[in-house]
Amino acid sequence: MTSPELCFLSAAQIGRLFQKKELSPFEVTEAHLKRMELLEPALNSFITVLADQALAAAREAEQEILAGRYRGPLHGVPLGLKDLYCTKGIKTTSGSKLFDAFTPAFDSTVAARLKAAGTILLGKLNMHPLAYGPTGENGEYGDMHNPWNPALIAGGSSGGCGSAAASSECTLTMGSDTGGSIRIPSALCGLVGFKPTYGRLSRYGLTPLAWSQDHAGPIVRTVEDCALVMNAAAGYDPEDPTSLDVAVPDYTRCLTGEMKGLRVGVPREYLDVPLDSQVKTIVWKAIGRLSDLGAIISDVSWPIYRYCTAIASAIQMAEATAYHSQLIRTHGSRIYPPVRLRLEAGFFLSASDYVQAQRARSLFYRESLNLFKEVDLLAGPTVPVTALKIGTTRVNVGDKTSGVIGLLTQYTRPFNLNGFPAITVPCGFSDAGLPIGLQLAGRPLEDETVLRAAYAYEQSTDWHLRRPPLGIQA
Amino acid sequence: MADKFWLDKEAFLKIAETSGLDTADRHMDELYAFVQQMLSNLKDIEDLNLEGMEPFMPALPAKEGSR
Repeated sequence: MTSPELCFLSAAQIGRLFQKKELSPFEVTEAHLKRMELLEPALNSFITVLADQALAAAREAEQEILAGRYRGPLHGVPLGLKDLYCTKGIKTTSGSKLFDAFTPAFDSTVAARLKAAGTILLGKLNMHPLAYGPTGENGEYGDMHNPWNPALIAGGSSGGCGSAAASSECTLTMGSDTGGSIRIPSALCGLVGFKPTYGRLSRYGLTPLAWSQDHAGPIVRTVEDCALVMNAAAGYDPEDPTSLDVAVPDYTRCLTGEMKGLRVGVPREYLDVPLDSQVKTIVWKAIGRLSDLGAIISDVSWPIYRYCTAIASAIQMAEATAYHSQLIRTHGSRIYPPVRLRLEAGFFLSASDYVQAQRARSLFYRESLNLFKEVDLLAGPTVPVTALKIGTTRVNVGDKTSGVIGLLTQYTRPFNLNGFPAITVPCGFSDAGLPIGLQLAGRPLEDETVLRAAYAYEQSTDWHLRRPPLGIQA
Repeated sequence: MADKFWLDKEAFLKIAETSGLDTADRHMDELYAFVQQMLSNLKDIEDLNLEGMEPFMPALPAKEGSR
């Protein structure tokens, strides 16, 4: 196998080869580091590369596997963490130079669990500063670039995860999602991105943006890899007050390829907001495929959807400003200007605005649960457009002009507000060769239903096998 | 403040100052416009009937003790 071919393997494939001792963690780590060297000038996925540490860990994993101390399917698999996951002894910037010298003394729970599973940490991934933006633009560490066309955004805020996983610089990446920050870069880069039920993955040791809407989750190339990451990282964590103390299933067991009889609703309100015609055609074709697979598709109504942005934004802004209030006051002029603007604006929300938004959120949650009495899943586009040119602030879609933030998050935000599990899977490409994502969302704690449907769809297509043109022959 | 979803410039600067922002900074006009937009978006929430609604709290399932 050539060096790029090793990088294109999924974690599940790598794990099987490691277990059979047909491939070594050292070879795979070395191949990824070479690939990073080749592609980083174009992509800028990483803030910190841990080459020496990764090679040493890979050598250790190799010895453990050879000695029969195999830890499981992620043992020896290369990983990148968004740079807001605290990592003991490793710089953690949250995408801002203000934290360039911050080296945590502890691991976030998810980082610790993935380390215990034997993953090899290749480095810390670039991100929209302070996770406060959906484009993956960063005026301090540099913009993240989309591997399908480096002139375009990778999406955000977990943009480095998107560019690193899509370009095969990393096999596994972990992002975070407050309004779509896992699913947006995944959709724009042709990846699988999973935001589990709120409380399923610990938030302990992740820099908050908005506590009540923040989620950790994987950005990877296959649904099976998502399930493997969930198996290793999910579970109760007493350090996170919102962590769910419920049994963790084996998420790979739901990957049956079967979705016959699942009721899938498509909210008609999804058509009341701007939606690119090519994205619509491709996503609705994908929904047709779900029907071919035995799902029962129906048109549903979710009237409160149109209030989602107002409710979620008010809560997010109040929480983000509260968390960063000292930073804004003492170092405001050094915060990336578009982020600074949003953070400062939060001071102008009153306590009663916040409480009213939280009351509206209760209504949104109740109406979401009611909707899920009719269906098992909701389906629709993840993002209404394909990747935009870096620097774009407003976009024309049909006869409407929209701001980029609202546009990119219009389909993802509802599931941060209600905390329901949601995934994006690649479902096609635009005429310009850019990836498009299908979003599937389920009831709280029915993460397995979401993964099961996503897997069945994925396995019936070959979209997830396509690779960006970068470095194929290298 | 004549309208709860609109701030006059004077009130804006007062809140900015109280919040510890540098009101002499040249981006204040941009922030003022952004804040007006943010406040006008809150109007949507007023359309909802929130009678009987308490602020959201995550519905945490009972502990199973199965960690």
